[in-house]
Amino acid sequence: MHYLHRGDDAECNGSPAKRCRLRRRTESVRRSRPPFPWFGMDIGGTLVKLVYFEPVDITAEEEQEEVENLKSIRRYLTSNVAYGKTGVRDVHLELRNLTMCGRTGNLHFIRFPTQAMPRFIQMGRDKNFSSLHTTLCATGGGAYKFENDFRSMADLELLKLDELDCLIRGLLYVDRVSFNGHPECYYFQNPADTESCVKKPCTLEDPFPMLLVNIGSGVSILAVYSENDYKRVTGTSLGGGTFLGLCCLLTGCETFEEALEMASKGDSTNVDKLVKDIYGGDYERFGLQGSAVASSFGHMMSQDKRDSISKEDLARATLVTITNNIGSIARMCAVNEKIERVVFVGNFLRINTVSMKLLAYAMDFWSKGQLRALFLEHEGYFGAVGALMELLKTTEDP
Amino acid sequence: MAHNGHQRGGDDDDAIDGDDETPTKQPRSDDELPASCRRSEPDGEAAAAGGRAPSDGRTSNSTARRRSDSVKKTRPPFPWFGMDIGGTLVKLVYFEPKDITAEEEQEEVENLKSIRRYLTSNTAYGTTGIRDVHLELQDLTLCGRTGTLHFIRFPTHDLPAFLQMGRSKHFSSLHTTLCATGGGAYKFESDFRTMADLQLHKLDELDCLIRGVLYIDSVVSRGPSECYYFENPTDPDRCVQRPYTLENPYPLLLVNIGSGVSILAVYSENNYKRVTGTSLGGGTFLGLCCLLTGCSTFEEALEMASQGESTRVDKLVRDIYGGDYERFGLPGWAVASSFGNMMSKEKRESVSKADLARATLVTITNNIGSITRMCALNENIERVVFVGNFLRVNTLSMKLLAYAMDYWSKGQLKALFLQHEGYFGAVGALLELLHPS
Repeated sequence: MHYLHRGDDAECNGSPAKRCRLRRRTESVRRSRPPFPWFGMDIGGTLVKLVYFEPVDITAEEEQEEVENLKSIRRYLTSNVAYGKTGVRDVHLELRNLTMCGRTGNLHFIRFPTQAMPRFIQMGRDKNFSSLHTTLCATGGGAYKFENDFRSMADLELLKLDELDCLIRGLLYVDRVSFNGHPECYYFQNPADTESCVKKPCTLEDPFPMLLVNIGSGVSILAVYSENDYKRVTGTSLGGGTFLGLCCLLTGCETFEEALEMASKGDSTNVDKLVKDIYGGDYERFGLQGSAVASSFGHMMSQDKRDSISKEDLARATLVTITNNIGSIARMCAVNEKIERVVFVGNFLRINTVSMKLLAYAMDFWSKGQLRALFLEHEGYFGAVGALMELLKTTEDP
Repeated sequence: MAHNGHQRGGDDDDAIDGDDETPTKQPRSDDELPASCRRSEPDGEAAAAGGRAPSDGRTSNSTARRRSDSVKKTRPPFPWFGMDIGGTLVKLVYFEPKDITAEEEQEEVENLKSIRRYLTSNTAYGTTGIRDVHLELQDLTLCGRTGTLHFIRFPTHDLPAFLQMGRSKHFSSLHTTLCATGGGAYKFESDFRTMADLQLHKLDELDCLIRGVLYIDSVVSRGPSECYYFENPTDPDRCVQRPYTLENPYPLLLVNIGSGVSILAVYSENNYKRVTGTSLGGGTFLGLCCLLTGCSTFEEALEMASQGESTRVDKLVRDIYGGDYERFGLPGWAVASSFGNMMSKEKRESVSKADLARATLVTITNNIGSITRMCALNENIERVVFVGNFLRVNTLSMKLLAYAMDYWSKGQLKALFLQHEGYFGAVGALLELLHPS
């Protein structure tokens, strides 16, 4: 008997010939493994996230039969780490020797700005992608927004999937297969103490219920009770896009990396009005420490103060303001949904240790240790992974 | 004990239910006054320490009693102030007695008279002080006296000038207790002492806020209703203010939007909790606007915002989805990412300062609305009252809040507003002076 669609089945055993025979037999069955290439795509408000499964168990026979454009796609993607001016392959996130749907290969993680989507579609057209008759599973708002463009410009039909369904599916999958033998999930110990704050691994085994906070251009907050049972609790429009947009306006920077670089050097307390600026100390009655922010950017109504702060201070204040607002809302949700584990994902947290530590600290401090903030290495890619998994799913689950 | 026809109920707080008793013009003896407002001297006025002619033998005791914290059963000497020293603005309420007898006037000390005249004959003080005349409450009876309650504000930044004035007018010689709330009551306590020889009686800002809200709503009986809401907030042609009675107000969610925001769940006059707060408040709006547009006052920022279009600045759901995100009920016009378009250089170059001001207003307001809605849901409270000076002359935000509460809760929540917006803390402080709890 053959079984096709679970990522961890044992078809790899036996001789290459045997495997090849099995594969050919299975491919003819209605519930078939889709043809290569295998992609999952998440077209977000700011970034497109693409996961690509590169098979490494290709037999000589298979390679001979492989059509030219498929080969070319495979080579193009795996022999570059940058594509055009803005495409990037996150090599450090590559999942090696993964078994998916009976094939073994590497899972690659690629991103590029949604603004470059027309160029991407153009490339799909140039490489005659449509002739491969592969289904392109796509999620995120752009799967809806660009559906027509894919069709008219590249003769490609998208299989549109809901972004939150894909997010959860992708997250649970990656945590299950782990990160090349290492844990996918981690938290920060002693987040308040810069000297002793340290990243610690953890597993998401027995993950439910969990509060999932997806920080992309905007924010969605989900209460997840099981793989198929979740609800979108709320969201906020003050997300990663707000951080970057405001930073560009306030400091003249142009990229996320520049904004973070500036923020790492600034002091937000020059910009924000703290409780101690208003009270002269703590507001004890309601447990508000003097160091807590009472009014974000509150000093900036004074010309003197505006003249005395730096762009770095502004970038830092923007980061702190957006991050703490998300933390505060997440905390309220966690309390109301009675969930103790809060998992933060999304590309706002990419290379953004400042925000991660702030969130870790806020969850811990304001809940007096009741809540724990968790993070995942593959941050913003789970939607795309989830889309890929949808591609590999058969029409009927066993 | 026989009263002269002005029978009151037995509780100490009888003067604050706004009853319209006719004040007598003659000074009353202690016997005839209800316990809570008994004066220790016939004239009831504060007088300079050395200048008072004692009319009975209890001068030194009464002086001492008056000088220490307002003791429960004493009507305090004039002037009667309540002060709320916030992060951005100082709010001052001043009770101007209108029932001063000729005798009282004669005995009134000079600096007290001068303070009264200065405050009531001006509507602006120095370069930044303002008396909100339209908020004045006339014919108010407080602690047995009838008069007008005035509402004055000035930037906290100018507090030193205020203290200087207090010093030069010899305010401290009036031996009045200065009831003050807000963070500044703590922060500037020693400045008051050293610069003007004034002792502050510090009060918690949220206690005062609630007390002030409940009082003002109960006494406003003429003119526009203190409490109101917006009917048809989304339709500019049909959107209209309507009065609302806050009788049976509990439970209530009270959202105080000052420099920062506090959200309180109020179950009864003396039972409330601070549910949460957010640091993205009025100070954030003004600070960001000043940075992004070069404006320097709240009024300028609002003016710009009224002319701008935030959808050029914000990334909407339809910008990402091409339409609605139906699965989760997010309409295409909802903001997905505030300022989200501003990461694009092209878009940055195509928006105006007015658009930026508008986007800042909308972002801050909607964030507050969103957090408020979560609290209302979790506390199971349907009525939300928004106060604080962020809403002063800010109909745009009020309508946004009214709309947001209604829309996202599918009509379950109602947003309410109060005319005296940011002054309730100061009113509460004044009430503490007159009726110590």
